Amino acid sequence: MSTGALPDLPPEAFAVALASMPAMGPARLRTLLSAEPPALAWARANEGSDASVRDVARTWQRHTALGIRVLLDGHPPYPERLADEPQAPAVLFCLGDPAALDERVATVALVGTRAPTRYGIGVAAQFGADLAAAGVSVVSGLALGIDGAAHEGACGAGAPPIGVVAGGLDHPYPRRHERLWERVASSGVIVSESPAGVPTEKWRFPVRNRLLAALSDVVVVVESRHHGGSRHTVDAAIERGLPVGAVPGSIRSATSEGTNALLADGAFPVCSTGDILVALALTGASVAVAPKATGRPTPEPQQPAGVDRLVFDLLTADPAPLDDLVRVSGMDLAELCGSLERLAQAGLARDVGGWWERA
Amino acid sequence: MSSGLPGFTIVGLPDAAVRESRDRVRAAILSSGLPWPLRRLTVNLAPSGVRKGGAGLDLPIAIGLLLAAGELSPGCTEGLSFCGELGLNGSLRHVPGMIALADTAAPRGLVVPLCDVREAALVRGTEVRGAATLGDLVAVLRGRADWPAVPALAQKAPAPLPPDLADVQGQALGRRAVEVAAAGPHHLLMIGPPGSGKTMLAERLVGLLPTLTHAEALTVARIHSAAGCSVPDGELLERPPFRAPHHQSSIVSLVGGGSWSLRPGEVSLATNGVLFLDELGEFPVAALEALRQPLEEGLIRVSRAGGTVTFPAAFLLVAAMNPCPCGEGVYQGACTCSTSARARYRRRISAPLLDRFDLVVPLSRPNPDELLAATLGENSATVARRVADARLAGCQRASELPLAPDAGALLASKLRAGGLSARGLHKVTRVAQTVATLAGADVVSFAHTSEALSLRAGRAVVVA
Repeated sequence: MSTGALPDLPPEAFAVALASMPAMGPARLRTLLSAEPPALAWARANEGSDASVRDVARTWQRHTALGIRVLLDGHPPYPERLADEPQAPAVLFCLGDPAALDERVATVALVGTRAPTRYGIGVAAQFGADLAAAGVSVVSGLALGIDGAAHEGACGAGAPPIGVVAGGLDHPYPRRHERLWERVASSGVIVSESPAGVPTEKWRFPVRNRLLAALSDVVVVVESRHHGGSRHTVDAAIERGLPVGAVPGSIRSATSEGTNALLADGAFPVCSTGDILVALALTGASVAVAPKATGRPTPEPQQPAGVDRLVFDLLTADPAPLDDLVRVSGMDLAELCGSLERLAQAGLARDVGGWWERA
Repeated sequence: MSSGLPGFTIVGLPDAAVRESRDRVRAAILSSGLPWPLRRLTVNLAPSGVRKGGAGLDLPIAIGLLLAAGELSPGCTEGLSFCGELGLNGSLRHVPGMIALADTAAPRGLVVPLCDVREAALVRGTEVRGAATLGDLVAVLRGRADWPAVPALAQKAPAPLPPDLADVQGQALGRRAVEVAAAGPHHLLMIGPPGSGKTMLAERLVGLLPTLTHAEALTVARIHSAAGCSVPDGELLERPPFRAPHHQSSIVSLVGGGSWSLRPGEVSLATNGVLFLDELGEFPVAALEALRQPLEEGLIRVSRAGGTVTFPAAFLLVAAMNPCPCGEGVYQGACTCSTSARARYRRRISAPLLDRFDLVVPLSRPNPDELLAATLGENSATVARRVADARLAGCQRASELPLAPDAGALLASKLRAGGLSARGLHKVTRVAQTVATLAGADVVSFAHTSEALSLRAGRAVVVA
C-alpha cells in the first residue's frame, strides 16, 4: 500500500474505494466506516496490499463521470429518513436528484411479482399515476412486472419517483428497463448500496428490499405469489412498523395467493388509491387530484343487444378460453368470434392471447 | 479380361459396397453353375471421376463378366439395363431407390430383381423385367426360358385408417383449426399446455386431407424410394404422408444431405403430406431456420462439396409447442417460469418462422364434463368431405370472395390499433377466405373474419 499524496480526493472517494473492495458487504462496510474516517478506514483495510491512492482516484473518477452521487451516512444530503435506520447503508449511491429523498415528501412502496397478470399491471400503473399526481413519491425496485408498471405510471408527472436497485448504477438491470431507468433518474432518483461495476447478484435483492422499505412510509403489495420476493419487503416493513397494504385478487389466481394471504394476516386492503392515502394519514381532502376509482370502468358502456348480450353475460373479469365459451354458449365458432369482436369494438370485451375477458 | 495371374479388380472410384461386390459376383456366378473365368479380370466403372455406390451394381458387373467370358452372346443383352444386388447363392436381392434408378435407366428395357419389378414399373410400365436368380436370368438371356411372371400380390388387409377426429372431445377451436389448415392449406401452430390435445389433433389432420392424385402419389413414391424407404408392394400410397421427426433429429435428417450421396430429408419425405414438429421450441434453432426455404419455395436445395441437389419439399407444416417451459403460460399468472426463461423460450421461434404460420391457435385443456361426455364430435369423414368441397370450390373460383363492409372495417380498425401488421392482414384475409369457403358462403362476413382473427390469436402468447 502506498499513501502517495493526492490530497484533493474527498472522503467520499475513499468510501467508494472501500465499498468497491472485493467481498465487502454492507455490514462490514458499516463497521469499518463507523470506526474512523473513510481515508483511514480505507488505508487500514488495504494494509499489506499494493492498492494505491491512484486506484482510489480512478474509482472515484469513474463514479463522477457516470453522474453517480455518493452520500455518506451522517453527511448531508444523506436522507434523513435513514437516520434512525439500524442497518442504514454507510454509503449510498444515487443517480438523479437526492432531494427526491426529502423526508417531507410522503413515499409509498408499490411492489409485487415479476410475472403479474394484466390486472396487476393495470392496478400498479393506476396507483403509481394517482399517487404521483397526489404528491406522493412512488418507491419501487425497477424490476420487471409490478415494480416497472408502478414507475411507468408514476413517471408521468407529480412527485418524483424513487427507484431502489440491487446492483451498481452503471448497468441498468433488468436490461429491458433501460429506458425506464433513464426516466426515473431524470424525474426522480435511483439509489443503490452497490458501487458502480458491482453485478446484480441474488443476495443483494433482500438487502435492496430492506432499503426499499426503509425509504417508504407505506408498503403496498399489488400482486404476489405464495413465496414471492415481496415477502422480504413486507417483513422489512413490519420490522420498521410501517403499514402494509395488499391489493385483493381472485382466489383462483396464483399471482394473488401472496396478497390474499397478507390480507388474511392483517394487511390493510387496498381497493383504491384513497385507501393508500388514508393509510398515509393524509385526508382525502388534502389530495390534489381526486383519485379515480379502480377496478370499475368509469364511462357507462352502451348495452349490447341480442346475441351479443348473451355472450357478454358469459364473460367475466377472468379470461376464459374460447373453447369454454363455445361449450357454454352452444354457438357456432364463427358466430361467437363475430360476437366477441363486436363486443371488443364497443369496448366491452378484451382478447388476451386468444382468451376473452370482460373489459 | 486379359492373361496373367487370375485376379479380379474393380476400378473407377467404387465405394466399399461396390468393392465387396467382387466376392458376391464370384460366389453368385459359381453357385449358379456357371464357370468363373480364371483370367485377370478388370471391371472399369465409367465415368471414372464419379464415386459409385450401392450394391445394385452387382448384377451389371456379373452380366458384363459373363458377356466377356463368352457365356452370353453379345446380342442377347442388346438395349437392356440391369440393376440388382446378388446374394452368394445367386439370388437377386432388393435394391433401395428403385424408382430413381428406373427413371435414369436406358429407354428400352430394364431388368431388376423380381421383388422390385412392381416398384420400377411405377415409372417404367411394362418394359420392366424381373428375375429371381442369376441362373434364371442367364437361362432367359440364352433363350432357354421365358421371362418369369411377376408373382401376384397376396390379398392384404386394407391400410389402417388414420385416427379419427371423433376421438377429440370438446376443443372447438382446435378441431376447427385442423379443418381450416387442411382446407387452406394453411400452416398451423398449436400452442397449449401439456394435455391439451396438440399431438392428438395433429395426427388427425392427415385424415382430413384429400387422397393423393396419381401424380402426387408418384412424387411421394419417388422421394421415398430415393430416401431408401421401400415402397410397400410397389403400390402407390393413397393417404398423404405424415412425418413426425423427433426434436432431437439432426439438421441433415430434417432437410436432407449426406457426405456425397445426397439423400432427401424429412421435409422432402413429407411432400404432399404433413410435417409435424412436436415441441417446436425444443428443436435446434438452426434446424427451424432451415425450414424457411422449403416453406417459401416448396423445395430445398442441398449443397455439398460434391454437388447440389434440389428436392421437392412442399408440405403442410403442423407444429405444437408449450407456451413456456412450465407449459402453463397461455394464461398469465398461472405460469411459474421466470421472465427470462419465458423470453429465452420465445426467442427460439424467430419472427420470420412464426410469420409462416397462417394459424397460431391457443389451446386449453378440455373441460372434464366434455371429456366424460358420451356425445362424439364430427368424425373425420364428415370434416374431410367439407375440406374436399372447399378445396374444389377454391380451385373453381376465378377470384377471391368479396369482403363484407363491416368485416373490412374490423380489419381496418385492427390495423390502425397496431394489432395487425401488413403481413398479418394478408394472412388473416387468406384464412378468412378459407373459413368462408368452408361455410359455403359467397361473401367473407364479419363472423368469418372474426374467426380468422381468433385462429391467429395465439401469436400474442409467443410474441413477447
